[in-house]
Amino acid sequence: MRDFLLRSLKHKSYKFLAVGGSTVAVVALILILGAQKNFGPQQYGQLIVAGLGDGAIYALIALGFVMIYTVTGIINFAQGAFVMLGSMIAVTLYASKIGGTGATGLIVAALLAIVATTAIGVIVERLTIFPARNADSLTLIIITVGVYITLQGLALIFWGSNARILPAFTTVATSDLIFRPGGIVLKAQSLWIWGTTAVVLALLMVFLRRTLLGKALRACSVNRYAARLMGISPSRMSIFAFGLAAAMGAVAGIVLAPASRPIYDMGLKLGLKGFVAAAMGGLVSSPVAVLGGLLLGLTENIAAGVTKSGLKDIFAFIVLIAVLLRQRRQMGRGLE
Amino acid sequence: MAVVVVMMFVAAACSAGTTATTATTAAPATTAAPATTAAPATTATTAVTATTAAPPAEGVAYKIGFVASATGPGSSLGMPETNTAHMLAQQWADGITGPDGVHHALDVIILDSESNPDVGAAAVSRLITEKDVDVLVAGTLSGNALAMAPLAEEAEVPMISMGSARSIIETDGVTRPWIFKTPQENGHSARWQATYLKSQGITSVCYLYENSGFGQDTLNNAKKFFPEAGIKIVFSDTFERSDTEFPQMQGVQSSGCQAVVVGAIPPGASMVTVALRDFVPDLPVIQGHGVCNATFISLAPKATEGVVLPCGRLMVADGLPDNDPQKPVLMKYIADYTAFTGGDPVSTFGGHAWDALQWAYMGLSSLNEGPDLKDRRAGIREYIETNIKDWPGTGGVFNVTADDHLGLKYTGLTFVRVEGGKFVNFPPKDW
Amino acid sequence: MTLTERPQKRYGSIVVGILVLSVIILVIGWLESAQPGGLNIAALTGGVVTFDTMVRIGILTTAVVGLNLLMGYAGQVSLGQVAFIGLGAYFSAVLTTRPSLIGASGLSGHWWWPWLLMLVGTVFTGGLAYLVGRPILRLRGHYLAMATLGLGVMVNILFRENLGFAVDKVNITGGSDGIYGIPRLSIGSWDIWPIERYYYLVWLVAIVGILLALNMVKSRSGRALRALHCSELASETLGVDTARYKVRALVLSAMYASIAGSLYAHFRVAVSPKPFDFGASLELVVMAAVGGMASVWGAPFGVAAVVILRDLLRTHLSLVIDAVGGAYEVVAFGIILILIMIFMPEGVVARTKEVVRRWSG
Repeated sequence: MRDFLLRSLKHKSYKFLAVGGSTVAVVALILILGAQKNFGPQQYGQLIVAGLGDGAIYALIALGFVMIYTVTGIINFAQGAFVMLGSMIAVTLYASKIGGTGATGLIVAALLAIVATTAIGVIVERLTIFPARNADSLTLIIITVGVYITLQGLALIFWGSNARILPAFTTVATSDLIFRPGGIVLKAQSLWIWGTTAVVLALLMVFLRRTLLGKALRACSVNRYAARLMGISPSRMSIFAFGLAAAMGAVAGIVLAPASRPIYDMGLKLGLKGFVAAAMGGLVSSPVAVLGGLLLGLTENIAAGVTKSGLKDIFAFIVLIAVLLRQRRQMGRGLE
Repeated sequence: MAVVVVMMFVAAACSAGTTATTATTAAPATTAAPATTAAPATTATTAVTATTAAPPAEGVAYKIGFVASATGPGSSLGMPETNTAHMLAQQWADGITGPDGVHHALDVIILDSESNPDVGAAAVSRLITEKDVDVLVAGTLSGNALAMAPLAEEAEVPMISMGSARSIIETDGVTRPWIFKTPQENGHSARWQATYLKSQGITSVCYLYENSGFGQDTLNNAKKFFPEAGIKIVFSDTFERSDTEFPQMQGVQSSGCQAVVVGAIPPGASMVTVALRDFVPDLPVIQGHGVCNATFISLAPKATEGVVLPCGRLMVADGLPDNDPQKPVLMKYIADYTAFTGGDPVSTFGGHAWDALQWAYMGLSSLNEGPDLKDRRAGIREYIETNIKDWPGTGGVFNVTADDHLGLKYTGLTFVRVEGGKFVNFPPKDW
Repeated sequence: MTLTERPQKRYGSIVVGILVLSVIILVIGWLESAQPGGLNIAALTGGVVTFDTMVRIGILTTAVVGLNLLMGYAGQVSLGQVAFIGLGAYFSAVLTTRPSLIGASGLSGHWWWPWLLMLVGTVFTGGLAYLVGRPILRLRGHYLAMATLGLGVMVNILFRENLGFAVDKVNITGGSDGIYGIPRLSIGSWDIWPIERYYYLVWLVAIVGILLALNMVKSRSGRALRALHCSELASETLGVDTARYKVRALVLSAMYASIAGSLYAHFRVAVSPKPFDFGASLELVVMAAVGGMASVWGAPFGVAAVVILRDLLRTHLSLVIDAVGGAYEVVAFGIILILIMIFMPEGVVARTKEVVRRWSG
C-alpha cells in the first residue's frame, strides 16, 4: 500500500489527481454553500452569466496589458485610465449630439472616443515612456502610475465627480432589452460585451499573425535587440503598442458604459482586475489573458453569490496567487 | 554613538514636555499675536466692500475651517457640501459684527479630504494648530468624521460633523462635549422604513447595503428598529459602488423576502435599483436617506420610479404647506444654491453643510471682542449647546441640548416617493 | 571570495550622516517649542510643513527604510508593503481598544501595554511575512510584484470585512469605519503627547531604524543581498543561499513597517482600511524610488519630498488656481512624479550627489 502511494506520488497521475481532486473539492464546497441559500440551477446559471459579463470586460482590459508588456516590458498601470477615458469621452460626445441623436449619434460618439483615446495613448507614450526608454522597468512602471494619477485628475477637472450614463446599445435608451431564457436574466448589453471581446481577440490574433506590422510587434516581443537588427524600430513599435492598448481600453470602456455608470475614478479598480487577468497568462499571452479574465469574473461572482460579496476580491486574488505559484513551477526550469 | 543619539532625543523630548506645558498656557498669547498682525492684510481685501457703513472698530479675524470629501468615493455628498461652503463664504465676505459692534473679518478655509480619513485628519490638524480656526465644520463620510473628532476634542475646538453616524457625537452613550452634527440619524431613517413596511403588512425583507461605514451603519440601525415592528431581515449582503453585476440578486430571489431595503448612496444605490428592477420586478424597493439627491434618479430614470424613502424636507420643499417652519429656509437655500452653481440641483447633503456652517456663524456672531482663541472656541461650543432651540434648518427643526448634540427627532425626516423623475411627498395618510 | 571576506567597515560617513540628521530634527523641534521671534517650522516654510507633516514623514521614513532594504538591496519589488504597516497599526489598535478579545482586559490600563503590543505586533508581522515569504519569494521580478500586490489587497479586504466576521457579532477591526479611541502612548504617567513629544519619539525610531539598516547593509548579509540584486543565479553559484536572504529581507522590511504602523495608530488614534489600500502601497514605492532605491539615506529624503510636495500642492495650489477640491493637486503631483522619474530615475539623493560632484569639479 505504502509502495503504491509512493509510486503514484512520483508518477504523473499524481498531478492529475491533485488538480482533479481540488476541482471536485471546490465544486462541492460551492454546492454546499449554495444549498444553504436554497440555490437552484437557475441561480447558478445566473451567477455564470454575471461572471462571464464581468469576465469579458476584465479580458478586454487584460489584452491592453498584454500588448504593452510583450512589446515594451512595461506593466502599464495607466491602462485603467484608458478605459475610463473611452467611457467618459463617449458619454460626453453622445450627450453633445455631435453625430446626431439615437443610434447614429451613439456610433459616431463611440468611434470618436476610440480615436481620441488612441491619440491620448500615443501622446502618453511619446511624452512619458519615450524619454525614459532606457530606464529600468520599475522606473517605467512608476511613470505609468504617474500617468494614471494625472489622467484621472484631468478627468476630475473636466467631468467633475458625478457619475454619467450612456444608453444601452440595443434600445438606445437607459433601460436595456432583457431576455429571460429559463428565468435567467440576460441583458442585451452582455451579448454586446461578449461579442466585442470575441471580435477584438480575433482581430488581434489575425493582426499579429497575418500582417507585417503585427509580425514586427511580435518580433519585438520575442527579442527587442534582434528585432532592431532586422530593421524594426522598437521605438515605433512602442507607439503602436500604446496606441493599440489605448484603443482596446477605450473599446472596453465604451461597451461597459451602459452596464455601469462611468465616473472619473472607475479606472483604478478595472485596471487592477484587468492586470490580474493578464497576470494569469504571465502577461504575455492574449488568449490566456482572455481565459484569465473569464476565470476571474466567474470566480468573483460565484464566490460572492454563495458567500459574502465583500469577500469577492479575496477569492480573485487567491486564484491569482495560486496561478502564479503554478506558473513558477513550469518556468523555474528555464534560465533566470 | 546610537546611545548618544538616544540620549539627545530623550533630553529633547523631556524639555519639549516642560516647555509644552508652559506653551499651552502661553499659547493664546503667541497665537493671538500673529492673528492680529495678519488681520490688516485679510481685512484690507474685504474692507473695500465692507466699509460702506460707518467704519466700526476692527477686531480679530475669525476663521471657520471646513473639510469635506470633494473628491473620492464620497464626492456625490461632499461636492454639494463644498459648493455650499463656497457660496456661504461669498455671502459672508463682509465679515461679522459682534454684539458689541466690533467688526471681524471672516475667513472660511475650505479643504478637500479626498474621502480619505488620513488626509482629512491631517487637514483638521493643520486647521487647528496652524490656521488657528475658531470652529470646524468637517467630515462628510462617517469614517472620516470619526478620524477627525479626536483631534478636535484634544485641542478643544468645536467641530460640527456632516457625517451621520451616531458614534461621531457619542461614545458608549456619553455625549462628546466638543462634537456636534447636523445630518439626521440613520436610526431615524430606519424607524421610518419600519413604520412604512409595517403599514404594508410586510414581515420579511432583504437588506442590501453599500460596503462602507454608512452602509454598515444603516444595517445596524435596521437590525435595531425592524424587529420592534415585527419585521425580519431574512437576507443581507453588501455591494460595491462600482459593481456592474449583482450576484446578490440570487440571494434575494432564493430568500423569498417580501421587500428589499437598500442602504447606500449614488451611484451604487442607482445601480442596485436597476438590478433589483431586472431581477425582482415585483418586490417593492425602499431606499434610505443617503439617496436624497437628483443624481440618484438621473442615473437610473426608469428603475427608480416608485421607490419610496425617508428624506429631508429639502427635496420636497415646493410641496410643503406655507406654514411649515422650514419652508422659507428651504426655499432660500434652493434659490441661492442653484443661482450660485449655475443650475445644479440641490441635495440634502449640501443642506447639512448649510446648517453646520450657520451654527458656526451664529456662534461667532455671539462673541464679543476680547476673549482669546481658547475662550472663543469654548464660547462657540457653549452657544451651540444652549442657543440652538427650535431653530429651523434644512435638515429639520433643531433643539440641541447638552445631552443631544444633534437635536432632531425622527420627524426631521419625511417620507417621499419617486414619481415622474422627482421626489414627491408621500405622507403616512397616503400609504 | 569577496562575499565571505571580513567586511572593511567604514563608519565615518554613517556617524556624520546620523549626527547631521539628528541635529536637523532637534533644531526643528527646538524651534517649535522655543519659537524664537515667533518663528517655527510652519512659519519658516510658509505654512507648508507643520508638525503633523514632520511626524508623518518620520513614520513613513521607518517604513520606507525597510522597503528600501527589500527593493533596493534585495531587488525584490513589493507592491503590498502597506499591508504590513496596516497589520502593525491594526494589531496595536485592536488590542489596545478591545483587549478582552484575548482575555487581557486587566492589562490594558497599564502604560506599558501599548508598548508591549507594539513589540509583539512587530514579531507577529515578521512571522507572517516569514510564512508568506517562503513560497512567494520563489517568484521573480514582475511575478513577485503581482503576488505582493495580491497579498496587499487581500489584507486590506480582511481589515474592511472584519476578518470575515459579522460586525454586529464580533467586532474586531471595525469594518469600513475602522477603530477609534486608541490611547496615546505614555511612559508611566508621562504622556508622549502633545505632538512635540511624539515627534521626538517617531524620529528616534526612524533614526535607530536607519542606523540598523546602514549597519546591515555594510555587513556580510548586506553584500549578499546586493549580490542577489545583481544576479540571483550568479550569487547562487557563489554559495549564497538566496532564498534565505530574500526571506530575511522581507521579514525585516515587514518589521520596520509594523513599527511604523503602530506609531501611526497611536498618532492618529484612529485606524481604518482606507489609508492602507493599494494606492497607498504605490505611494510607498514612489517614495522609495524618489529617494533612490539602493540607498538607506534616500528614505527620509524620498518620503519628505513626496509628503511635502503633496501638502504644498494641497494647501497652496488652490491659492493660484481657484479650484474646487484636490483635482489640480493630483494632476500636478502626477506630472511632477513623471518628471522626477524621467530626469532622475536613480532618485533625488543620487542625482543631487552627482550634480554637486560636477559643480565642485
